[in-house]
Amino acid sequence: MNQTLLMARTFLRIFSRDRQAIFFSLFFPLIFMSVFGFVGRAESEPTEIGLSDEARNELSAEFIAALEANPLFRITQGEEAELREQVISGDLTLLLVIPADFHDTSASSELRVVVDASQVRELGLLMPVLEQALVEVERDLRGLEPLFTLTVEDVQARAQNYLAFLVPGMLAFTVMQISIAGSGYNIVEYRRKGILKRLFVTPLEPSSFIGGLVLSRATVCLIQLSLLLLYALFVLEVPLAGSLALLYFVIILGTSMFLSLGFCLGSLAKTQQAIMALGNLVTFPQMFLSGIFYPIDILPDWIQPLAQLLPLSFLADALRGIVVDAATLTTLWPELLGLLVWTTLFLLASIRMFVWKEVAA
Amino acid sequence: MPIVEAQGLRKRYPLSERKGEFFNAVDGVSLAIEAGEIFGLLGPNGAGKTTTLEMLEGLTDIDEGSAFIAGLDVAREPYKVKRLIGVQLQANEYFDHLTVEELLKLFYGLYGRREDPRALLERVNLLDKAKAKPARLSGGQKQRFSIACALVNTPQVLFLDEPTTGLDPQAKRRLWELVRELNRGGMTIVLTTHNMEEAEFLCDRLAIMDKGRIIAAGTPLELIERHAPEPPARPAHGNLEDVFLRLTGHELRE
Repeated sequence: MNQTLLMARTFLRIFSRDRQAIFFSLFFPLIFMSVFGFVGRAESEPTEIGLSDEARNELSAEFIAALEANPLFRITQGEEAELREQVISGDLTLLLVIPADFHDTSASSELRVVVDASQVRELGLLMPVLEQALVEVERDLRGLEPLFTLTVEDVQARAQNYLAFLVPGMLAFTVMQISIAGSGYNIVEYRRKGILKRLFVTPLEPSSFIGGLVLSRATVCLIQLSLLLLYALFVLEVPLAGSLALLYFVIILGTSMFLSLGFCLGSLAKTQQAIMALGNLVTFPQMFLSGIFYPIDILPDWIQPLAQLLPLSFLADALRGIVVDAATLTTLWPELLGLLVWTTLFLLASIRMFVWKEVAA
Repeated sequence: MPIVEAQGLRKRYPLSERKGEFFNAVDGVSLAIEAGEIFGLLGPNGAGKTTTLEMLEGLTDIDEGSAFIAGLDVAREPYKVKRLIGVQLQANEYFDHLTVEELLKLFYGLYGRREDPRALLERVNLLDKAKAKPARLSGGQKQRFSIACALVNTPQVLFLDEPTTGLDPQAKRRLWELVRELNRGGMTIVLTTHNMEEAEFLCDRLAIMDKGRIIAAGTPLELIERHAPEPPARPAHGNLEDVFLRLTGHELRE
């Protein structure tokens, strides 16, 4: 036990002095959460629309006034040719041309929408909103009562929801990265440098070595995740629906799971390059399949059942359940069971695979 | 009773080029080293010196044979043996971000000791480097630091694996002096080397290894007498005048 604490203290001192590692382990998730936080907010900015009025009559003026009243759009009026330039340069998202025959409310006239091909993706999101606005303007002009109302809030609220979706995913992802790097990469480095061998010339027991490494890594991981959590809760203002204690319990479970996996990889790989490749092989598919950036439902049907069973999926789902849906121990049991099963498997494998003797052979 | 004793040590490694076949890195090595000796394992690279040492230290599994340190079976009681020995390995890299002093404290701690590392640093002449990182030390300083790490438990037997390889002549001399000094204090020292000068200067007794076997053993002088080739016939020196003088005598003739 004394040796375990001694090793834990030593590792903590080493990690605390490794500024580069501290920086990069926090940098990536912070940047990701921030970018999506701000992108989310930017979506509520009005869409820049150019408008060329070829009719120039009372009706078109009224139509334009109605459009300008809509908070979703910012209207710039001008000549078509000049506005086209602005669409191409990206200052305007699209250009609306009101035709000269736009005068009779009884006849239908065709409005032209001019877009840049590179904006087409955004157009898919915008067209329904634009059409809706046109319908509203038309109703207004004709004095009709709307049958339905559309709330514009959906567009704005989605950004917040996405952040609430992303933050638990980023927490899970960070647990995985820090833990696998903390055990696997370190072990390979220590073995390659002959440090493991040097340590095992002394009466240090393997269990004390592993115990110390796990203890110190778990501490570092908890500190780093607490920082991310503070940032998410207070700067990005993501609400935490569930219990903080449960959140930490799941984080600790996830840390043990990925530390064990890291030990397995560290035993398989002989060189630093090999452990990098192995690490990527294990983390990259999970990054995209485990519902970190988007829900698993988006994936092809055949892959979904497999994706649900990935270690990172269980962790991300459990954390998301707590943050978004206030999940409790009773509702989280499938995810917790999944985490426990993976942890046990990785732990058994790491004990079996770890080569204590001939560590540098 | 010898303090280090080995009987028929054998270590097998699979041949990487031919599957299912093995070669013996160490092939039946027997040794007996008396307490207080400086014992050298001499041999070319790949002779099996390091593997032999690692089997004695309990770092490498013994495939065949047995090894005892101070009467303890290395295979059965490795942890008791580890407390009695000090080991300096060929690789001497340490954790990044820790100073010489902190590393020594760690090694003390691993033996359950709490001692001031400064006294030990003084002994190996590194006191002024206490706050340095090992990676910044010179070759000779690194080796002395390695030895300091191996001394934290005041071992009965000190194992040194090629302690002077890569050192300049001054650093080499200094290290030899340190080893002699430790030995004068009663410490048994087992070292490997492929440096003949070192073997002759330091070692009380030697074993020469090749291809996993000990091919000769004894004191340096015995080995020289037994195995050194006959000295070549002296080349002719002098000139005809010398011959003339020798044959005719040195007295002056009137």
